[in-house]
Amino acid sequence: MSLFTAEGLVKRFGGLLATDHVDLAVDAGEIHALIGPNGAGKSTLVNLISGLLPADAGRIVLDGVDLTVLAPHARTRAGLARCFQITSVFRNDSVRDNLLLAVQAQAGSSFRCLSRRDAEHALQERAEALAQRAGLAEVLERNAGTLPHGLQKRLDLALALAARPKLLLLDEPMAGMGPEDSQQMVGLIRSLRRETAILLIEHDMDAVFQLADRISVLVYGKVLTSGDAAHVKGHAEVQAVYLGTEVAT
Amino acid sequence: MLEPTSQGASSAPCAAAAVTHARFPGLARRLPWLVLALLAAFPLLAPAFGLEYYVGFVRRVLIVAIAATSLNFILGYGGMAALGHAGFIGVGAYTVVALVEAGFSSAWLAWGSAALVAGLAAAAIGAVSLRTRGVYFIMITLAFAQMLYYLAVSLRTWGGDDGYGLYTPLELGAWLDGAHAQVFYWVVLAIAAAVFALFSRVAHSRYGHALRGIRDNEMRMVALGYPVYGLKLAGFVAAGAVAGLAGGLLASHNAFVSPSIMHWTQSALLLVMVMLGGAGRRWGAPLGVALWLTLEEVLKLYTDYWHWPLGLLLLLVVFHAPQGVAALLERRGGREGAR
Amino acid sequence: MDAIFVFEQLLNGLGYGLMLFLIAAGLTLVFGIMDTMNLAHGSLYMAGAYVAARVHEASGAFALAVLVAVGVTVAIAAVAEFLVIRRLYRRDHLVQVLATFGIILIADDAVKAIWGVAPLLASTPAALAGPVALLEGLPYPSYRLLLIGAGLTVALGLHLLVNKTRIGMLVRAGASNRQMAEHMGVRVGGVFAFVFALGAALAALAGALMAPISAVQIGMGEAILIPALVVIVIGGIGSVRGAFVAALLVGMVDTAGRAFLPPALRAVLPPSVAADLGPALAGIAMYVLMAAVLTLKPAGLFPARG
Repeated sequence: MSLFTAEGLVKRFGGLLATDHVDLAVDAGEIHALIGPNGAGKSTLVNLISGLLPADAGRIVLDGVDLTVLAPHARTRAGLARCFQITSVFRNDSVRDNLLLAVQAQAGSSFRCLSRRDAEHALQERAEALAQRAGLAEVLERNAGTLPHGLQKRLDLALALAARPKLLLLDEPMAGMGPEDSQQMVGLIRSLRRETAILLIEHDMDAVFQLADRISVLVYGKVLTSGDAAHVKGHAEVQAVYLGTEVAT
Repeated sequence: MLEPTSQGASSAPCAAAAVTHARFPGLARRLPWLVLALLAAFPLLAPAFGLEYYVGFVRRVLIVAIAATSLNFILGYGGMAALGHAGFIGVGAYTVVALVEAGFSSAWLAWGSAALVAGLAAAAIGAVSLRTRGVYFIMITLAFAQMLYYLAVSLRTWGGDDGYGLYTPLELGAWLDGAHAQVFYWVVLAIAAAVFALFSRVAHSRYGHALRGIRDNEMRMVALGYPVYGLKLAGFVAAGAVAGLAGGLLASHNAFVSPSIMHWTQSALLLVMVMLGGAGRRWGAPLGVALWLTLEEVLKLYTDYWHWPLGLLLLLVVFHAPQGVAALLERRGGREGAR
Repeated sequence: MDAIFVFEQLLNGLGYGLMLFLIAAGLTLVFGIMDTMNLAHGSLYMAGAYVAARVHEASGAFALAVLVAVGVTVAIAAVAEFLVIRRLYRRDHLVQVLATFGIILIADDAVKAIWGVAPLLASTPAALAGPVALLEGLPYPSYRLLLIGAGLTVALGLHLLVNKTRIGMLVRAGASNRQMAEHMGVRVGGVFAFVFALGAALAALAGALMAPISAVQIGMGEAILIPALVVIVIGGIGSVRGAFVAALLVGMVDTAGRAFLPPALRAVLPPSVAADLGPALAGIAMYVLMAAVLTLKPAGLFPARG
């Protein structure tokens, strides 16, 4: 029994079938990578799973809970957190305030409106622990918008981690990174394996082959094949559609 | 003749507060109390300077500032650009009219009901409006306010287009004399101070932080697990209720209610005053209201053409102080002050 | 309530709707292409009405009055665009509200200084003062027929301009995809200025034509602005076709509401209730229409953006 399953997911944009009956499973402790050429529908799939887009058909279950009927924020509360391909942090706030906001969402009601939030020690401690975890302790008081790209990406990840997810959706965490930042991110993601299962969407093939236990290939909104690195590397059709015409013949 | 410069009784201390807030943090903590003390003493000092007339004026500034503070809360902190806030002021004012017409005379009952009914109206209007975004939100809040306006115009039992006079002042209770202008002034001041203090406190609470998060990055807030719609609706309802309270006070202040208090230009004016003062700034709303109404009052002394200088002021603000006067003062006072 | 009365009200609704379209067309293009919320659009309508009324009074030539009104208003709009509006294109909507509200205040005072506070009485051109018998038993004011004719002509012209000409293509491209409009480089500024002037001309034309059958007074711009905004929201911001359909809808709903609702209510409700409720519902009708449209189609009937 998988921790997470998506069955028969369908999404149409007008006449275009962006997601074509996709089945996907992620086991506990697994890093499952989703690869595919541009326009294969990876981001659409992430948005369907996280609920930012409503699915036309299909079912999503996480740890026995049917997420399909839940609003996006409720899916996060049920244990499904995500990062964004285009880094999505609170640019005008300090890293500390970013983390506090993320931590606050998970600890008690955000309708509390009379006591000072910044005086809550439990929240501060959680935020600082997260910063430590993501390698952001040095820049806690800096404005998020002024951080270098690599650190912003890490902050984005730390925000998702605050939810203590069962499944973490990472939408191109290495996008736009140099080799050094990428390697640090790979290390960080690998270290998360003990805490959460991960569905990783990534273009950086080195990173994918380093991290993934299982790889699924998405082409034209369909899962072409699924298997370990060796299986995918050796799959003729994958080579054809993914690596281009050079291998096609 | 009166000294026009001395009318800035309420605006000058607020401005000073914003300045010192950045420059002398110790003084900044005490300054709100100083402002409060000055405002409280004003009715007693005014006769000595021949400024009795302006006790009523400051009272009006305080009432409008209550409404503007509530708008600043959802606009500046929550990012909800509501162009129908005067509608809730109107609901509050007409609630007072309805109660008076029905024979009730307790001020507390009337104003409490004004807040309650306006809050209910805000819940209904917000529930629909908050499903839209951007310009469509601006327009749909405007549309609902227009509906309320036309409703008031056509309700002839409450005066319709001609308005409704409240000839006997509401009763404040055993030991407070509602008919006494100064007592009413102090009651208004107390309510305004309480509302301002409340919203300032909420701004730093969990809820206030969440609201600003939604303003800055709504999608991320959803992904973090926040019930964004519910949080926004709660703010919208609270702001509507406080605007309704201001409407109830305004009904007592004017001893008259007519549909014109919820004309769309009144909603626009409220937005304009908040932005002039500085949306999302603690002192933005009272500063904007005091500045705008004082200028209006001063200009009216000298000329029939008092609109265009205010229009020019808005253009100046847009191009030279887009964050509002409060932000300008904070910057003058040194480093960028805390939001 | 007979068929003749219904027909007459439909014609009134058509006329009002067409005038709304003239105002909304410019507003929706400015909004759609420049993403600019111009509350002062109603002030251009006011300028057109005032200039036309005074020139007509002085010269006795109505056509001349309309032409002068359009010319003067376009000149004013050009100045406003150059001084203020073009600096607002990339700003926040609220900042645009603030600035254009400032323009309204200035415009109202300017009108007061030039023409005074008392409303002007604009006269109908003498040749069109009488009624025309459209059908047997239906005399209809010939001036209102002129309104309908002029409105339809301009709508057709605008349709051809937007759909058949090069500048129209640029305008449409801008409304459906602003980034693409921005990629058009140097031409963008010119297209913006052209669209703003065109919108001003249409608003002035509407003001000039409406002057004889409405009150020419300070505040008339603010009064017409709201229905015009309702029209562009219902039609879909940036869509001229949407503005046309929505303007006719709003014109009809508003006119029909005022004409038919009170008698209909009187038939089923006690007179005192009906007397209160009738005008209220009539005034509210177009806003209910807008709320209903937005509930079903959040981006309006003809969303310009895909």
